[in-house]
Amino acid sequence: MKHHELTYRMKEKAELVQAVVTTVCSMEDVLRYVVDLTLRQNGKSLVAPCLDSQNRQVLETFCSAAGLTFLHPPLRNHLTDIHTALTHADWAIAETGTLVLNSASEDLRIATMLSETHVAWIPASRILPDAVALSDRLIETMKSPPGYMSFITGASRTADIERVLAIGVHGPQTLHILIMEENPS
Amino acid sequence: MIQTAQDMKTYRDRIRAALENRFLRKALDNFASAYKVSRAKAFEGIDLETLKDQIATGKDQALTQLELLFNRFKAEAEAAGAVVHLARTAREANEIIAKIGRNNGVTSIVKSKSMTAEETHLNDHLEAEGFNVTETDLGEWIIQLRHEGPSHMVMPAIHLSRQQVGTLFGDVTQTPVDLEDIDRMVKVARKELRPAFLAADMGISGANLAIAETGTLGIISNEGNARLTTTLPRVHVALVGLDKLVPDLSAALRIIQVLPKNATGQALTSYVTFITGAVECGASDSGKKILHIVFLDNGRLDLAKDPVFSEALRCIRCGACSNVCPVYGKVGGHTLGHVYIGAIGLILTYFYHGKDNARAIVRNCLNCQACKSVCPVNIDLPYLIKKVYANILKDEGTRPAKNTVLSTVMKNRYLFHSLLKMASTLQKPLVQKEAGVLRHLPFIFGKAHEFRTLPALAKKSFRDQWPKIRPQIQNPKYRVALFGGCVVDFVSPEQALSLVRLLTRYNVQMEYPMGQSCCGLPAMMMAEEQTAMAVAVQNLDAMDPDRYDYIVVLCASCGSHLKEGYSRLLADTSEVTEKLRCLQDKLIDFSSFMVNVLKAAPEDFLQNQTRVAYHSPCHLCRGLGVTREPRELLQTAGLDYAPCKDEDVCCGFGGSYSLEFPEISAEILRQKLDNVENTGAEVLVTDCPGCVLQLRGGMDKRNSRVRVQHIAEVVAENLKDP
Repeated sequence: MKHHELTYRMKEKAELVQAVVTTVCSMEDVLRYVVDLTLRQNGKSLVAPCLDSQNRQVLETFCSAAGLTFLHPPLRNHLTDIHTALTHADWAIAETGTLVLNSASEDLRIATMLSETHVAWIPASRILPDAVALSDRLIETMKSPPGYMSFITGASRTADIERVLAIGVHGPQTLHILIMEENPS
Repeated sequence: MIQTAQDMKTYRDRIRAALENRFLRKALDNFASAYKVSRAKAFEGIDLETLKDQIATGKDQALTQLELLFNRFKAEAEAAGAVVHLARTAREANEIIAKIGRNNGVTSIVKSKSMTAEETHLNDHLEAEGFNVTETDLGEWIIQLRHEGPSHMVMPAIHLSRQQVGTLFGDVTQTPVDLEDIDRMVKVARKELRPAFLAADMGISGANLAIAETGTLGIISNEGNARLTTTLPRVHVALVGLDKLVPDLSAALRIIQVLPKNATGQALTSYVTFITGAVECGASDSGKKILHIVFLDNGRLDLAKDPVFSEALRCIRCGACSNVCPVYGKVGGHTLGHVYIGAIGLILTYFYHGKDNARAIVRNCLNCQACKSVCPVNIDLPYLIKKVYANILKDEGTRPAKNTVLSTVMKNRYLFHSLLKMASTLQKPLVQKEAGVLRHLPFIFGKAHEFRTLPALAKKSFRDQWPKIRPQIQNPKYRVALFGGCVVDFVSPEQALSLVRLLTRYNVQMEYPMGQSCCGLPAMMMAEEQTAMAVAVQNLDAMDPDRYDYIVVLCASCGSHLKEGYSRLLADTSEVTEKLRCLQDKLIDFSSFMVNVLKAAPEDFLQNQTRVAYHSPCHLCRGLGVTREPRELLQTAGLDYAPCKDEDVCCGFGGSYSLEFPEISAEILRQKLDNVENTGAEVLVTDCPGCVLQLRGGMDKRNSRVRVQHIAEVVAENLKDP
């Protein structure tokens, strides 16, 4: 499957599970998106545990301009304060619209579990057709423990009451996926 | 707490009470319909049969080397910082976990969903030890607050209405909750449970998979509580059945590919988590998670060595056997299981929770095969259920009187057939002549049996008519033998007479071997395997397959028992293997014979386009895998086939089942007949005389204008004269 087909399928399958999927061209797009989204949702705070220092500085600048609090690690100090979490995803699985995050870092886990909104960006080249295509990489990671590997498919959900689907039980209530096209045409 | 009926009287009372719960029936019925659609959609484009075989084979291999896999897992996980325990019993597992709590100064515990923890009654143990335990899966929290057990393995609170949950949440939070607003209720749980996560010292989870090659736990979940449970507290204990061990990641990925789809029709759950060893944890002094993995044996190692029952350990806990079970759909999980629910529950209860808890529930199986056909790991659930029943009868050393009578009579064909003939004379005062049904049921039947009329025995059985009516065909195209079965022979010989007419018209020489007897399925249903084996040998002797081109059955149940049941019953009787194989190769159901062998064509039939609905017998569509031919035959025979909702759902007959559990049988039948009447059909057609008996009796009781006929009858009726 070609890249654009995988991107299309990823978007289609992720939207089936209520994820919001957008294509972006640069890190700046990502940073602006996450700030705008937080403002739209009346959120007050933002975390970005795995961001490199250069982008983190840009994001912090955006945050202060927008009146948002940028929370610094360790995130255990902010367990109840996180509105938006910005993270990358290591891979994505188009077949099911799934994000795969190597979550050995506790800050990353806390960000993706205790935020109200999770925004993840993924380079288009890291979208794979199915889980089997990922298995060598998964095994490799599992063989250098300790590890905590997360497959995330849509927002947290339940159907435990009368089998009616409800979104946002214990995890994030919304999931946004930003697919980054390396060579936008 | 969970109190399962331990005797039949109590069990029947429970069943009656469950059947009065209209909400439950409606909820389960809606679920059953929606599930079929979403499951089919989820598996679109996937070669499910191959995948099922791969998983089943992989599981079987793993089961032969559980100890090896456990040792590998332990070595890998401990090298990664975990501590791995093996608990021989449920009590030992609970004690290990309590001790881990005490040693780490734990006071409060959060739990994510674990059927294994339900199996060991872990919460009761921990609470008695003074720990504060909170279930965090929404459904599990609800039933914890109500002090109940789960009523489904995947959806533990499916038996409750939104109003019941809303009222409960209102009481717990001391704030009124809108009783219609499910979204709000979910948010109440989110808000109420968050402090429990933040305060907990220990998180207890289950695991869907334990991957030996890397010492990794795999957890499949939707709500996100399993992730919080395994991340926030400084101690994580995973309680895992030994049967969850798989050798490697690819085996795990195959199970992950199937489990959510088969459980709820989801392509994948929101979260799949793989935990390997002790990860970073800021709440622990060492900065590392304190991770303990407790494997539970509780009989699994012995079970894995059992030549018959080891298959049950393939189960991946998807709960689908409940989703499709007609009995589950009527009475719910609290009446059809102990801790483990549904078909697999009827089996595992005996092994994990003892014969007292299994004694009554294990009898509540129609043998409709729906669970077997939906099982993602090919467990022959109906067969194992009967085997458990047989084991219990053996353990208890006493058999119900009806079993002894049945066995004595059935083993002796002359006695059996003489009794049937005698009964045909004795019933005369009870028969309503024109209708051929019993006006009054003998007093031993109670009121509960009045949901259908029962047919009278025929005045003259087919075998008694045969010598006079046997057609002699010159240069026949084929020679076929009819395996009639008891119902055709003694209750509905008109079905066989229709066959005679059709075969004569198509130039086929038919024979009715007189030495044939009951196929033996009723004996299997009552767990009388020795008797079933004895009649199998008799029938094989009587039917001598070498003499015929085909052996035709009008009864799907006989057919599927001859085909599948006999192979198992006679597996160790090597002197009949060849003969049996020959019989099975030549065995064919009526519709397939008409369509595939005789190539019946529309010009042979009056095209009167009578509107007919079709009921697909369990043992035809699932037992023999025949689905296309009967529908095609109806159309060929000039009938207007009107598709009906749930055609392949059991009619509730199940042979002796309908006598043992008449109320459930009646309820399943009611729904079937409602669906048929909704099609506007004039005739309901099916291809099993047992189903005809049930469906016709039910239609008769409700004075319906819908006639019920065997497919051989409607097809013969439309046959043009040559």
